[in-house]
Amino acid sequence: MTWNEQLDKLLRRVEKPARYIGGELYSVEKDPGSVATRFGFAFPDTYEIGMSYLGLQIIYHVLNGMESVYCERVFAPAQDMEALMRAENMPLFTLETKTPLTEMDIVGFTLQYELSFTNIVNMLDLAGIPILSSDRKEGDPFVAAGGPCAYNPEPLAPVLDFVMLGDGEDSLREVCAAHEEWKASGAPRTAFLETICRIPGIYVPAFYEPVYDEEGSFSHMNKLFDAAPDTVEKRIVEDLNAADFPEKNIVPLIDVVHDRAVVEIFRGCTRGCRFCQAGMIYRPVRERSKERIKELAKSQIEATGYDEMSILSLSTSDHSEIEPLVTELMEMCRSNNVALSLPSLRLDSFSFKVLQEIQGYKKSGLTFAPEAGSQRLRDVINKNITEKDIYSAMEQAIELGWTGVKLYFMVGLPTETFEDLDGIVEIAGGIMEIARRAGGGKRGRFNVTVSVSNFVPKAHTPFQWCAQDTEESFEEKHLYLKDKLKKIKGVSFHYHGTHTSHLEAVFARGDRRVCQVLLKAWELGCKFDGWSEYFNYQLWQEAFRLTGISSDEYALRTIDPAAPLPWDHLSCSVSKKFFQMEWDRAQKEETTHDCRHGCVGCGVNSRTKCQREGTL
Amino acid sequence: MSRYVIQFYKDGNMRYISHLDLLRLFKRTFKRTGIRLIYSQGFNPHPRMSFVQPLSLGYASDKEYLDFETTEQLDCREIISRLNGAMPAGVGIIGCRELPPTKRTLAALVEYAVYEASFELSEPIPWREKLEEFLAQEQILVEKKQKKTGKLVEQDIRPMILKVEPLERSKNNDKYISLTLLTCAGSNRNLNPETLLSAFCSFCGLSYAAETASIRRKELYCGGQNGRDGLVSVMEYTPQNH
Repeated sequence: MTWNEQLDKLLRRVEKPARYIGGELYSVEKDPGSVATRFGFAFPDTYEIGMSYLGLQIIYHVLNGMESVYCERVFAPAQDMEALMRAENMPLFTLETKTPLTEMDIVGFTLQYELSFTNIVNMLDLAGIPILSSDRKEGDPFVAAGGPCAYNPEPLAPVLDFVMLGDGEDSLREVCAAHEEWKASGAPRTAFLETICRIPGIYVPAFYEPVYDEEGSFSHMNKLFDAAPDTVEKRIVEDLNAADFPEKNIVPLIDVVHDRAVVEIFRGCTRGCRFCQAGMIYRPVRERSKERIKELAKSQIEATGYDEMSILSLSTSDHSEIEPLVTELMEMCRSNNVALSLPSLRLDSFSFKVLQEIQGYKKSGLTFAPEAGSQRLRDVINKNITEKDIYSAMEQAIELGWTGVKLYFMVGLPTETFEDLDGIVEIAGGIMEIARRAGGGKRGRFNVTVSVSNFVPKAHTPFQWCAQDTEESFEEKHLYLKDKLKKIKGVSFHYHGTHTSHLEAVFARGDRRVCQVLLKAWELGCKFDGWSEYFNYQLWQEAFRLTGISSDEYALRTIDPAAPLPWDHLSCSVSKKFFQMEWDRAQKEETTHDCRHGCVGCGVNSRTKCQREGTL
Repeated sequence: MSRYVIQFYKDGNMRYISHLDLLRLFKRTFKRTGIRLIYSQGFNPHPRMSFVQPLSLGYASDKEYLDFETTEQLDCREIISRLNGAMPAGVGIIGCRELPPTKRTLAALVEYAVYEASFELSEPIPWREKLEEFLAQEQILVEKKQKKTGKLVEQDIRPMILKVEPLERSKNNDKYISLTLLTCAGSNRNLNPETLLSAFCSFCGLSYAAETASIRRKELYCGGQNGRDGLVSVMEYTPQNH
């Protein structure tokens, strides 16, 4: 039986077989024999999730733009496909050429969320690639990782040959060029790692050995290769206008989560919310110009035939040219019969005007993310939004005919008390009161959805030292809110499970020892942990028990800011001193202004110019 | 405003995209070519185009048909070349014809389909004789799940089977069956070829192994027209108002 016949046999028996076929418009065909580097871009979740991720399109475009590189994609097969592949001994393969992953030179995973880590281990196993980097031999692929969770990759360190910090556009090219040279030289495997650890932004975990003190606390990293840097600094693409960006995105054949044209309008955020890792690691703000955005949007729409387009950033309204940009994009979309969608808009009068125009009768949901219920706690987390902002926006929304709003909050934030939770209830009630007044004493059809997630302390944020709430405390808070909110008519309440939040904290602040738990959990059958239908907490508890590692030690501990951290040797170019200053201010309930009002001293401008500093 | 029907194949990996996926693929492909379709009115406008007969996921087809309306008149050859220039591999346009702007869609006029089906029997048997016996029955009852209620009801599929013939390539093989099937298809009466295959397997006392089957639709036909008897390919059929 040929490979294709064998694959056909499987595809006939699985759900959504087109997840595994490739062949989409603008997927790249190259002769694998003609390139020096075969790169397998691996997304540790299903096709539908991975294909919605813009970073994949950017990296695919950048790498395939190199003549010496062929980048192909691979996703985590769904459970039905995995079972058949294992039964038929079919190794994990790339979508483009159906080549087993073992034949790739580099397999690069993107680390988007902690709960996808078991899928990485599982994909390596399905591919037949040794799971631990120390077990890989000459001829095996190099296993790499990048993305937000790569800023604390320690729980995966024994699995990864190298890690890429920061923007990948330049460092990926440099790594591939180094690979071509290394391959031609015929030097041993380690020689490649010894070379690339000198490329800025590249971290080779095997060159660093963690040392723990007698109490078992992390003490320091012992460097095993002299030329490796003491601190690995993230890469920064300085000019987004000059940066490569895809105009011919791969157009999926099946329905994926976000199936639309998309242009990134800026990277970074100036607001400085203290819980937010993205707001720290993507600094500084680098904007793409209005003209460049329009140019990219136009060519993407023409090339793909999409009838929806979206713009992407951490906070849409903060683009310096947002009003003319949105007005002109609306015009372009209208004349091309394309629906424009504008995520994460701040709800000011301009936004309402725009939403009114693009949504017409079909009003989609409004969302608001106050994150905390009281002004005091919003000051602690530096979320600069006031009750007045919320209420006046809601007055406008109701007047314009919106019939609902979704509010996002976190519970378990540092210094939180039940009075802060009462604030959540007050805001929900206050909005319903506005709706009632507007409806002449009747509530009408207005609905408020309160959605609560659990605070997870993340590395490289001012809250990296904070303890997470215990699961019991989270549950108590959920029930407290549930009880109070159910008394308000028109308000519905959703909250996030506590087990996954607890695990996220373990991995977000984990050190290299946590890898044992990860491997054990995978052995016991954990995968797709981000999917509630597959998540199995009992197996995770078993894994902690069997490895003798305490999850509480990682999630619930308040860390002394003077203590060394397992990720101190990795830098997002925001200084630890700044994080500590922010943590002190948080405890004093002091806010820090948006750095568009003037530099706040985070340290990133020692590396690069902050375009938006002091512009407000 | 003009109306056309195009004839296309769906093959290779494109077998694995669904009817809805194919619809989206055509919608985007039209958009890329700049051929402007007529859109329906209302809150949620969608282009006026319809496949003549849905094709099950996993099947290949030599001849599928899409009926659509454009805002301006175009040359058929141009439609073919523009669509083919913008379509990913696995779907290709092979014919195009302008249609009169009647209200009747081709989908409502399809009556028959020809399939080639190959599959593996779980054990070798003299299936040719069995096939003759199978077809000689006056009734072939199968259980069918009712869409609305989910209840199992018995259905006689014999009247929907017009012709079943072994293909040359399975002539001397007792394990691999290759057949050509002519069955009823369309909105009025429709027989899924695998319903027939699985009925035949159970007639032989075997179970039907769907994962071994490869099915290819060869053509879709309308009934006779203008006093002509027999089958008329959708490509040659001209819908008329009553």
